[in-house]
Amino acid sequence: MMEPRLFRKILIANRGEIAVRVIRACREMGIPSVAVYSEADAESLHVRTADEAVPIGPPPAVESYLDMERIVAAARQTGAEAVHPGYGFLAENSEFARRCEKEGLVFIGPRSEAMELVGDKVRARRAMEKAGVPVIPGFNAVQGSAGEYEAAARKLGYPVMVKASAGGGGKGMRIARNAEDLGPAVDAGRREARSAFGDDSVYLEKYIEDPRHIEFQVLADNHGRTVHLFERECSIQRRHQKILEETPSPALSPELRRTMGETAVKAIKAANYNNAGTVEFLLDAGGRFYFLEVNARLQVEHPVTELTVGLDLVQRQIRIAAGEELGLNQEELRQRGHAIECRIYAEDPRNGFLPSSGRIELLREPAGPGIRLDSGISEGWEVPVYYDPILAKLIVWAENRDAAARRMAAALEDYAILGIQTTIGFLHDVVGHAEFLAGRTTTSFIARNFEAWGRDNENDESRRLAMAAAAFAASGATGRPRDTGRAAAKTATPWISLGRWRIGGGGSHGV
Amino acid sequence: MEFEFIVDGFPARIGLEKKGDGFVIREGESVFEAGIRTVAPDEIAVLAGGRRRRIFLARRGDSIFVSVDGRTYTLETPRPDSGRSASGDDPSIEGILRVKAPMPGKVIKIAVAEGEDVRKNQTLVIVEAMKMENEIKSAAAGVVKKIHVAVGDLVDSQKPLVEVETKTL
Repeated sequence: MMEPRLFRKILIANRGEIAVRVIRACREMGIPSVAVYSEADAESLHVRTADEAVPIGPPPAVESYLDMERIVAAARQTGAEAVHPGYGFLAENSEFARRCEKEGLVFIGPRSEAMELVGDKVRARRAMEKAGVPVIPGFNAVQGSAGEYEAAARKLGYPVMVKASAGGGGKGMRIARNAEDLGPAVDAGRREARSAFGDDSVYLEKYIEDPRHIEFQVLADNHGRTVHLFERECSIQRRHQKILEETPSPALSPELRRTMGETAVKAIKAANYNNAGTVEFLLDAGGRFYFLEVNARLQVEHPVTELTVGLDLVQRQIRIAAGEELGLNQEELRQRGHAIECRIYAEDPRNGFLPSSGRIELLREPAGPGIRLDSGISEGWEVPVYYDPILAKLIVWAENRDAAARRMAAALEDYAILGIQTTIGFLHDVVGHAEFLAGRTTTSFIARNFEAWGRDNENDESRRLAMAAAAFAASGATGRPRDTGRAAAKTATPWISLGRWRIGGGGSHGV
Repeated sequence: MEFEFIVDGFPARIGLEKKGDGFVIREGESVFEAGIRTVAPDEIAVLAGGRRRRIFLARRGDSIFVSVDGRTYTLETPRPDSGRSASGDDPSIEGILRVKAPMPGKVIKIAVAEGEDVRKNQTLVIVEAMKMENEIKSAAAGVVKKIHVAVGDLVDSQKPLVEVETKTL
């Protein structure tokens, strides 16, 4: 009954939740997996999940996860036949894809030429213009002088967006609202692009005010078949980086969905692209849409598509890379129900989403009907400072959007990651917000509705409950509260009175 | 009983009185009744307003982490010998705002000079961490008194970056 293995062994050139996700797919397909890890990740979940694990160097990514030599060596050493890059790191590095091809390793992703084309945002813009795909007006030079950028920006009209040519994930992106902003925006964009991608090329685009970010998932096999798996709406972002994604988008009519889907397939064909990819669009208030870029990788938000379309995208990627035919027809594909994904980041939403690192002292994870958790963390693990702050993704599915939002809120209430700051509480308030429930989710959603979130500490009900629970714990457990009065209690130090941190045994009063 | 905590850096006081099967909880003007019970070594259930909440707790050193509806709070107890609070050594009380690194990272830009006037929320330093640039801003208006770091420095969390002499107290 067992079908022959598509690959002898797959090496996963990544870490965190996505490495765990790919390892799981390999396991389900009966393919042994190899994890790689830096010194900072020796105790990580992905290392513990894979069949084998190979150390690849010191914590900084350039000396480990971004070091092609070490990763290729790890593949050689373990006899891996294919490499899955996940997202980030080397996932969209065409040099790495080419290197794998040369070494006789199957790269699970698009061919290097297709990746090269779409990875160069400026070349991709030109190819799309030629294919008749609508693109955002922009300035296609990437190493212009300050004067050239200024002249171009004036011509496009402010505000403009500075973007990294090798970009992705919101890195290297800056808005310039006027000529005075432009110089610093270009400088910051270059610095961040160099640090994230090793390439400081930046270009300009006209900034579209308050659009929606809509993207179409596509699958293309190596035999000329391309289908799209409908849209994801990813408008809810902080610092140009997605934090919540859903499908279907409340903004698309069936007609617009069909037109955008057909355009996405056209874009993919224009790039001669294969494997899984995503065509990103901006949708303005007037219903016009513009090509933004092709993401030549599995995306963070792929699970919402999986839950509504009923396909495993990682397994599909592996099958395509092994040369299998897609065997899917566009007409047969359907969206069913509604899915929402929340990204759980190690960040402090009350403090400008600054990254937060440290030891996870306690981890409680939600479960239940329609709840999926793609996680890369474990209790007692130390969140390293070297990598992206994504910890996990919580994804829910329900029959419709309202039910999905309610399910997400309940799941987030059951989710506790203690010891660091995370986005859990923030996301809980997002999915319960009236504007979210009404579907008014444009890219300014967070700035518009959550600017001062959590800073009005005084009237915060959950803060009061947190204190009450801590006080209860400190009071020496249930059943025998000691009314010691104000004066005495003021000098009492509850945690010392508790001895070691322990909350007393079973409560005697009903709740 | 009354308890004092430092919640996310700010002193707060909460009263807890037994009443029947539950408790009366008092904080400032706010008073409400709730059933409270321990359900696991790191979990407390609170029933208030007909809604049950699962509250999770963990401890590290003097800090207690508490999570309610996904929101987390860091609670500390005041040191008994401190006349003011656990942050009794906080020099901001003396009119000096000590801006610290919120996370470990690398200083990539210093946006102000010593002696410079700064506005509230003005960017003082940019620290790169987890591959992102993070603008560290002044929490108050004032004058830059001292800059403790240089571009290229690797800083630990809580490392003082800049001192700002605040204008109003």
